[in-house]
Amino acid sequence: MEKKDHILYDKTGNPSKEPAWIFRTYAGHTNAKESNELFRKNLAKGQTGLSIAFDLPTQCGYSSDHAIARPEIGKVGVPINTLEDFRILFDQIPIEEMNTSMTINGTSMWLLSLYVALAEERGEDVSKLQGTTQNDIIKEYLARGTYIFPPEHSIRIIVDMYEYCLKRIPKWNPSNICSYHLQEAGATPVQELAFALATGMAILDAVKERNCFTHEEFEQCVGRISFFVNAGIRFIEEMCKMRAFSDMWEEITKGIYEVKSEKYRRFRYGVQVNSLGLTEEQPENNAWRILIEALGVTLSRDARCRALQLPAWNEALSLPRPWDQQWSLRLQQVLAYETDLLEYPDLFEGSRVVESKVKDLIENANKEIQKIKEMGGAIKAIENGYMKAQLVKSQAERLAKINNDELIIVGKNKWKEGIPSPLTNDPDGGIFKVDPKSAEQTLKVLSDVKSRRDAKKVAETLARLEDDAKNGKNLMFASVECAKALVTTGEWADTLRKIFGEYRPSTGVEGQKLNLESDKVSNVRAKVEKFQKATGARPKIVVGKPGLDGHSNGAEMIAVSAKHAGFDVIYSGIRLTPEEIVQSAVEENANVIGVSILSGSHVELAEQIFAELKHYKADIPVVFGGIIPQPDFEKLHSIGVKAIFTPKDYDLMDVMDRIIDIVSAKIPASV
Amino acid sequence: MTVRFAEKELKELIQEASQGEKYPLAKLISELERPDSFEFRKVLFKELENSGFNGDNSVTIGFTGTPGAGKSSLLGEISTNFLQTIPDKKMAVVAIDPSSHISGGSLLGDRTRLSLPVREKRIFFRSQPSQLELGGLNPYTYHVIRLLRCFFDFIFVETVGIGQNEIEVSKLADFSFLVMVPLGGDQVQFMKSGIMEVPDAFILNKCDEENLARASYHTLSTTLEFLRDIVPGGSIPPIFLTSVKTKKGIQELLDFVLKSKPHTKRSVETKVQIEKWIKTEYGNFGLSFSEKLGTITQKNYEEWESFFNSEIRKRLL
Repeated sequence: MEKKDHILYDKTGNPSKEPAWIFRTYAGHTNAKESNELFRKNLAKGQTGLSIAFDLPTQCGYSSDHAIARPEIGKVGVPINTLEDFRILFDQIPIEEMNTSMTINGTSMWLLSLYVALAEERGEDVSKLQGTTQNDIIKEYLARGTYIFPPEHSIRIIVDMYEYCLKRIPKWNPSNICSYHLQEAGATPVQELAFALATGMAILDAVKERNCFTHEEFEQCVGRISFFVNAGIRFIEEMCKMRAFSDMWEEITKGIYEVKSEKYRRFRYGVQVNSLGLTEEQPENNAWRILIEALGVTLSRDARCRALQLPAWNEALSLPRPWDQQWSLRLQQVLAYETDLLEYPDLFEGSRVVESKVKDLIENANKEIQKIKEMGGAIKAIENGYMKAQLVKSQAERLAKINNDELIIVGKNKWKEGIPSPLTNDPDGGIFKVDPKSAEQTLKVLSDVKSRRDAKKVAETLARLEDDAKNGKNLMFASVECAKALVTTGEWADTLRKIFGEYRPSTGVEGQKLNLESDKVSNVRAKVEKFQKATGARPKIVVGKPGLDGHSNGAEMIAVSAKHAGFDVIYSGIRLTPEEIVQSAVEENANVIGVSILSGSHVELAEQIFAELKHYKADIPVVFGGIIPQPDFEKLHSIGVKAIFTPKDYDLMDVMDRIIDIVSAKIPASV
Repeated sequence: MTVRFAEKELKELIQEASQGEKYPLAKLISELERPDSFEFRKVLFKELENSGFNGDNSVTIGFTGTPGAGKSSLLGEISTNFLQTIPDKKMAVVAIDPSSHISGGSLLGDRTRLSLPVREKRIFFRSQPSQLELGGLNPYTYHVIRLLRCFFDFIFVETVGIGQNEIEVSKLADFSFLVMVPLGGDQVQFMKSGIMEVPDAFILNKCDEENLARASYHTLSTTLEFLRDIVPGGSIPPIFLTSVKTKKGIQELLDFVLKSKPHTKRSVETKVQIEKWIKTEYGNFGLSFSEKLGTITQKNYEEWESFFNSEIRKRLL
């Protein structure tokens, strides 16, 4: 074979090696100070970019001192209330040299404003700032749940940021289309392609409609769009998906948006590999899964990501510890620096299998995009519930396959017997817990800032924000002024809530079917029938998703399964207060309340739910599901929770079986 | 079947329910939703009457329309306005959703679109699965409404209605609305099915955009003009244009509802419901007997039910 075929050459014709992608870890927890220490340690370990995880109140636009925020402070990310928290978070970190990715959506404009304000305060050249605000509101409506405003206003905020960034921070990616969570919510590769690209088109259409750019500037905007995708375990298919993404984006930007410059048509993307397939059972297997998933997006040069972050082996158990994150980072370093991966041109060019697979994906994704277009685009397909319903359907199909053993998951539904993992034997149980007292520090910083800031200036900047929101002006300028005036996250979001309103999207569960007919289903249905005979009514379950955690897949699957089993199900979507959930259960005289929580706030929320049940003198059994570590079981049981389900309980009918038993135990003896 | 509440307990539940306590009321409703609730109904409604709760002054409003017409969101908006502006009245909502034909289970999603205040005693919301009953109603909706009328000034009943057979709600509502969306193509369909003759008023919901709203209004009112020719002397029912997004027409609609009066002849309504029950229980065959039995003087539903039950059975045996 000719040598030139297996040697990679640079632009000048010299043999070269590809530079490695950006290594990131998605990190942030407890409070700004602890997160700052974590960031600095990670950078010292060879991490080359920052990927900030914010806590749920920050993501949903509440300050830490809001009642709804209290159980969530610092749990799944760092709490940011005011500029002061950013000063602490980036202490001794040269932000002008960083490439900072912020996983923030509903409040992305606010967090970018804080970043700009910090850079200006430090006297840095703001135009040098590099990074990404995720700002993909569509996937929030569909899968992750940290949206605030209705679609039209959310899109307006995104376009404001494009307009501002293009002229002032040209290296910043104002939004990042994140199909990652779509796969977590069950999306097939075709759906991931179609929904992500339709989202890209929705943003470009909105930018075009604003008509504030010349065509050259518009091309630059197209060039700023980046994607954040998911790589699953079927890694050949995933690699083909990435190739399909590039081809389709090229076609869209060239064909529809007439982008002339090749540079601006390039499909730029970062990857976090899949967490959905990670198991709580035999968690050490997850290490291999993560490696294999990483291969799909690194193996071939033409489908190699620009930045990669890997989950930790123990993510299905709870939050990873710093050591776990380090292990994930080391995997990337081994892959990039020890192997010969970066030395070759594309390995799969000319492969008939890959070519045909890519073609297939493109064809099907184009059909799906056409369907969305005919509905009036991605925003319309959100508002009418189409996309959400499609995802819930795919997820239900996936789970049915696992339950039917059509989809093998090692250690879960096959080869279940094994020696317990020594990795979880550490005294901390192999999992990370946020110190509940650490929230005090965040609250103290917040109250200090509030007491010493210039109240008049706060009022003035907020009034300007309100006016600009009403008058259709670009909101970035007022937001940066708010940041400098030490306005809080909650104040910023509340001001805009007042003007834009808050959004409640479709739950996607209505009309769903579960393709599962087995002895287990018949067994549960028989018990349901027995219950109905005895009491004269079907068992009624209220499925509740309290707090700010918007990962609703579990709740949706339980709702669909319960209906499949013959229950009457009341499910009202995410972000309900414990008071609202209990009120529903009381008014409906439900037989059981099923609560789903993934953010780690299960103990606090259980206490609130039982307090509310006591208020109504209602004796309704409560079961919990979610990422709940074993050591918390006893506490939850002592509060009154009847049963606890974790990702280990993947068999939907086993779950329903336990629930119907709990419900049936309450049938009065007199009947 | 025995009545599961002791006399004293039942009295307490009624007293608490009348004071807006949600759990006691919810328990009473569940008892009414049982297929074998006959004995319980006899005791309950007698007790209610003895305690001075007859429900005669309560107004029942039906909301029916195709899925996606925005009925729940509209009711949510009406509830919000109601609670803010009418401090001395109480309202209840019964929302009926279809059940699965496969498992019999259901997903009751209407709460999703209503953001109800917590611990507010002036409003009560209850879902009902349709239990595969034609007509969009649950077999026990009528009895639940009879109960709610005793404690609330206004009862809203929301059902999915997609054809002439699906507007049962108008038979137990004092006033019923058909909710449609602008230019949804519904108008022509409804003309064909004759459903237009049934509702007392129309709502064109989702009128977020003025021109489309106006155009649809004119199409609908022209259609209704035709109907006037079919029903000579009948007046054209009112049409409301509403939008939850822009809050258009909500207050007007609520004002209209607040002015509605309960039908004076509850006995006529009871007769209709009894006939429905006879048809379910004994089919057309039973219905033909009921006609022969002539006028009944009993007022109470349970007395009618008991009377027909024994009379028809006698003739069948």
